[in-house]
Amino acid sequence: MADALHTLSAAELGRRLAAGTLTSRALCEALIARYQTVNEKVGAFTHLDQADVLAQADASDARRQAGQGRGPLEGLPVAIKDNIAVKGQPLTCSSKMLAPLVSPYDSHVAERLRAAGAILYGRLNMDEFAMGSSTENSALRKTFNPWDLARIPGGSSGGSAAALAAGLVPLSLGSDTGGSIRQPASHCGVVGLKPTYGLISRFGLVAFASSLDQIGPMARSVEDCELLLNALASADARDMTCFGPSDRALSAAGDAKKLRIGIPKGFLGKGVAPEVAAAVNAAVEFYRAQGCAISEVELPSADLAVPTYYVVATAEASSNLGRYDGVRYGHRSSVAGTPVEMMTASRSEGFGPEVKRRILLGTFVLSAGYADAYYVRALRARAKIRAEYLAALAGVDVLLTPTVPTPAFKVGEKAADPLQLYLEDIFTIPANLAGLPAISVPCGKSGHLPVGFHLVGAPLSEAKLLAAGRLFEAAHGYAHQQAAL
Amino acid sequence: MAEGFDIDHLAKLARLSLTAEEKALYSSQLSQILGHFQALADADLPATIDDARVVDEAALRSDEPGPVLGAAAVTRIAPASRDGQISVPRVVDDES
Repeated sequence: MADALHTLSAAELGRRLAAGTLTSRALCEALIARYQTVNEKVGAFTHLDQADVLAQADASDARRQAGQGRGPLEGLPVAIKDNIAVKGQPLTCSSKMLAPLVSPYDSHVAERLRAAGAILYGRLNMDEFAMGSSTENSALRKTFNPWDLARIPGGSSGGSAAALAAGLVPLSLGSDTGGSIRQPASHCGVVGLKPTYGLISRFGLVAFASSLDQIGPMARSVEDCELLLNALASADARDMTCFGPSDRALSAAGDAKKLRIGIPKGFLGKGVAPEVAAAVNAAVEFYRAQGCAISEVELPSADLAVPTYYVVATAEASSNLGRYDGVRYGHRSSVAGTPVEMMTASRSEGFGPEVKRRILLGTFVLSAGYADAYYVRALRARAKIRAEYLAALAGVDVLLTPTVPTPAFKVGEKAADPLQLYLEDIFTIPANLAGLPAISVPCGKSGHLPVGFHLVGAPLSEAKLLAAGRLFEAAHGYAHQQAAL
Repeated sequence: MAEGFDIDHLAKLARLSLTAEEKALYSSQLSQILGHFQALADADLPATIDDARVVDEAALRSDEPGPVLGAAAVTRIAPASRDGQISVPRVVDDES
């Protein structure tokens, strides 16, 4: 039985734990055994404190035995992207700038998971400071796509997606600034949800672009994704943009078979691989056959999304990453000199190439003489994009597109061309710019590589996205899929 | 819109020290990326940025003291510390 535990859903594992036919220790031991044979191939984790995991598991089993179980996540391992603070665990953002920092505090989501009885299970690889779409920008290690070890897992939450597809853990947390949960979910054949901006506290999430960043759940099924989302969403005064579900009513799921689905005009055309378009079109036809109303919608400013995003995100990043100066924490250069020389040397040694590129770009678009032409115009474009999405979502419940235009590419294939890599996020970026919830759901394969479709909804319509995903998932065999390793 | 930029000035503003190779690489890549941003210059955009915010309220929390990490936890993660304080290179000369 232990050999098969890594294939089971979080919901099923939870049922067995609740029924007393499984202990958290047995589950964690099975996953640690899986980690020892598989992680070296996939590279999803950068750190796993096995003794700590087993101690947490024993504490969970003791709570359950004493009748003090804390809910549906009790005893279930949740692996965490390495930009989300967990007290006593590394917090490196896969950067030389922060390694080997150990977090002195818990993020809000870590507090929520502990309160729910979950096992805080290891640190997951990512693009450095969440900047990238392939996890190739990690300074710590390479992560490979479990479906094809010569290919990238997507990014920046590549470790979070690869760990699920490799059966290393049933649940994981990612963060999403322009698609960093949904794009790797699509490439690895798992489910990833970026919540409405403000639904989940960013306290303890290392800031990249604060007006865009959101933490979100990832899993091998929509049901499991919802299980994790429910544990994370709550108000938190430490994040002034977090309102939590108690402050605002989440939209009801309704009947997924009556959803009005909008297909943005032109989104399945230029640049989308034929097999991706075919899989997404098949998903559209599935929903039509279920009784959903399908219509075409106009999003005329969609082409502005990528440039708008890369101006806003890099501007915010150049400001947020100003804190890494070698003084209070993180890497300090051994180069002696003035404080400014020390800071400059520390930053130059600690940051990798993509982070430097984005800091330079962000510094430029905010600099005197250029801020109006770039940053302010990008904010105006953001307002326009948001208005168009909200107008479209006034007439339909969800917008359906591919998550990514093409399947996972080969490691190194786009490393020399940052602009091509930036275009990976063309379908996912608008949800961040507009603060909307969005989900990627597996819908097929291009050869042996997973393909996902992408649903975007109005603010606080997570339940509709999840219901739509569940409807599709129930009729297809893509949930719980794992790569053979 | 995508006019030239001074990579040395940018690096100075960003507190980054770049090698000659890095300067050449980033100059080329930033020019290409800024060229892609031309679409923003050509677009018909709204006059204000008010609607760019994704959270409606002017959200400000109360300015009240709250729990803090404490000196021991802070100095434990500092690159250098002494006597419960973070050590830094000399900022002000003794002679003045």
